[in-house]
Amino acid sequence: MDFRFDEDQEMLQATVREFLQGEVTPEAVRALWETDTGRSPELWKQLAEIGVPGLLVPEEHGGMGLCEEEMVLLIEEAGRAALAEPVISTAAIAVPLLNQIGGSLASEWLPKIAAGEAIAAVGHPVSPFVEDAHVADLLLLPDHGGALHAVTRDAAEVQIQPANDPSRRIASVEFEASAETRIADGDEASRLFAATLDRGALACAAGALGVCDRLIRLAAEYASERKQFGKPIGSFQAVKHMLANVKVKLEYARPLVQRAAHSVAHHAAARDVHVSMAKLAACEAATLGAKTALQAHGAIGYTWEQDLHLWMRRAWSLDHAWGRSSFHLGRVREALFAGALPIGPGTTFSGDA
Amino acid sequence: MKILVCLKQVPHQDARLDIDGAGTWIKEDGIKFEINSYDTFALEEALRIKDAGEAEVVVVSIGPDRVTQALRTALGMGADRAIHVKDAEIDGSDTLGIAKVLAAVAKEESPDLVLMGLMSDDGNASAVPPMMAELMGVPSATAVMKATPEGDGYRCERELEGGALEVVDLAKPCLIAVQSGLNQVRYASLKGIMAAKKKPMDTKSAGDLGLSGVVGAAGAKAQIEKIYAPVRGEGAEIIEGSTDEVVTQLVGKIKELGLL
Repeated sequence: MDFRFDEDQEMLQATVREFLQGEVTPEAVRALWETDTGRSPELWKQLAEIGVPGLLVPEEHGGMGLCEEEMVLLIEEAGRAALAEPVISTAAIAVPLLNQIGGSLASEWLPKIAAGEAIAAVGHPVSPFVEDAHVADLLLLPDHGGALHAVTRDAAEVQIQPANDPSRRIASVEFEASAETRIADGDEASRLFAATLDRGALACAAGALGVCDRLIRLAAEYASERKQFGKPIGSFQAVKHMLANVKVKLEYARPLVQRAAHSVAHHAAARDVHVSMAKLAACEAATLGAKTALQAHGAIGYTWEQDLHLWMRRAWSLDHAWGRSSFHLGRVREALFAGALPIGPGTTFSGDA
Repeated sequence: MKILVCLKQVPHQDARLDIDGAGTWIKEDGIKFEINSYDTFALEEALRIKDAGEAEVVVVSIGPDRVTQALRTALGMGADRAIHVKDAEIDGSDTLGIAKVLAAVAKEESPDLVLMGLMSDDGNASAVPPMMAELMGVPSATAVMKATPEGDGYRCERELEGGALEVVDLAKPCLIAVQSGLNQVRYASLKGIMAAKKKPMDTKSAGDLGLSGVVGAAGAKAQIEKIYAPVRGEGAEIIEGSTDEVVTQLVGKIKELGLL
């Protein structure tokens, strides 16, 4: 499988990176923590102007009609910038779900999302809470019987819940399920929820790549400046090797995320296992990055003023979102024991087109 | 109205620069490049004129294949068409050689307005804009902080030393070299980047422009002899002691030098 991105994809990623570097500084992220919603409508509008929410929206609805292969590049940048806006919940999860649902619901909401005029959030049986429900105009939610419903926020009771990451806003959502709100049930709903879970986990994996990369850079910068025994601490093997170990994990995770994006975009039969492998590897890299960066910083890393928090907390929250590691390990284990995955050196990507 | 915007692709501001083996330039392998920051303000100014009415914005850049990325970014931001001047014969040109190439492109395009940055982030010569204007035979202004349409031309406010401004009127066709901070540069949009693929990008050689044998290292009147990192100077004195002692000593040193 050829993992190289083409020039267009690289330019899309570079464009988003440049935008986020200019507009989403650590100070801006911290400032949003102090607001009621933790979100910036102005920033969301700007993101819409450059095309982020509409990346997966079909062209006929005002979007770009691209696929998960491009989306993971954008979400990696969002992770690198510690962006708080609902790119994952709306652009990466709700939009493709609406694409799958189709009909009048998609026609009504997709153009608004692409234009930055609406936010959508998705609930899933895998989690009791819904991320970004407090700012969503449209909520796509499961009921207790496994059916999928669409409700507007004013028709739901949204209760914000505490979260470890101040940028992450999660809520419990109660709503009155009815025939009018029901979008799908039975096998159709199961199929939609399964696809949604894969997209959510894939997005978390992509975000974790950016988070991990930023953590390594923060730690490396600090280790280059902080001196002990008259030398930068980064010159000591004990420090440089542990940072290098994180980098190795990150680079091993990256092709798994790209392969999973390819599998989701092309509806590969093994996409669920590929997504789980990607989520496990990327979040393992990001959480190791958090631990290692904190160790490299020492005591100052624990201070609230240190920006390390922005990415450490994001790493931990991405690790727990859209299926914890035990869930994803279970999916990989089942595939292995069922003989669906080849085992051994050189087989990780065997069978991929 | 046609606006020609001259862009230079320069090493990214965050790129680590190492001097090449010959000691006359940097190693370009493996580093990222971007549009010269001064030129981005010129491009933004052109796009604002376009947004305000009828105008075609043509961007031109000289350099190897990597330069197409800068041109595609400019197309993604809203430029209509691009010209890539690519020819090994142009390598080693001095500022006059570059001005000749750009002036030859301008002669073919006959723009009403040429916009470019005051200088480049890497070369810092500030020489190409006035040279190009002279070769084109058009009026020009450099270090322009504001340009507004006035009659059949532009009224430009130029930045002078000491915070003073100078106002000059240029009749079209003219060349304006802008100072940084002239405007707020827009970001390229993802849609724009994808649409840029369908916009025309012409490639021209020195021969196409009638400059074969005229530009390049052979025709350069100025050549880079050597580039090097400044040598760390000797004689720095670190004053040690308590804050009071340090301040007392520092004030004494300043007085000693006759600065107080």
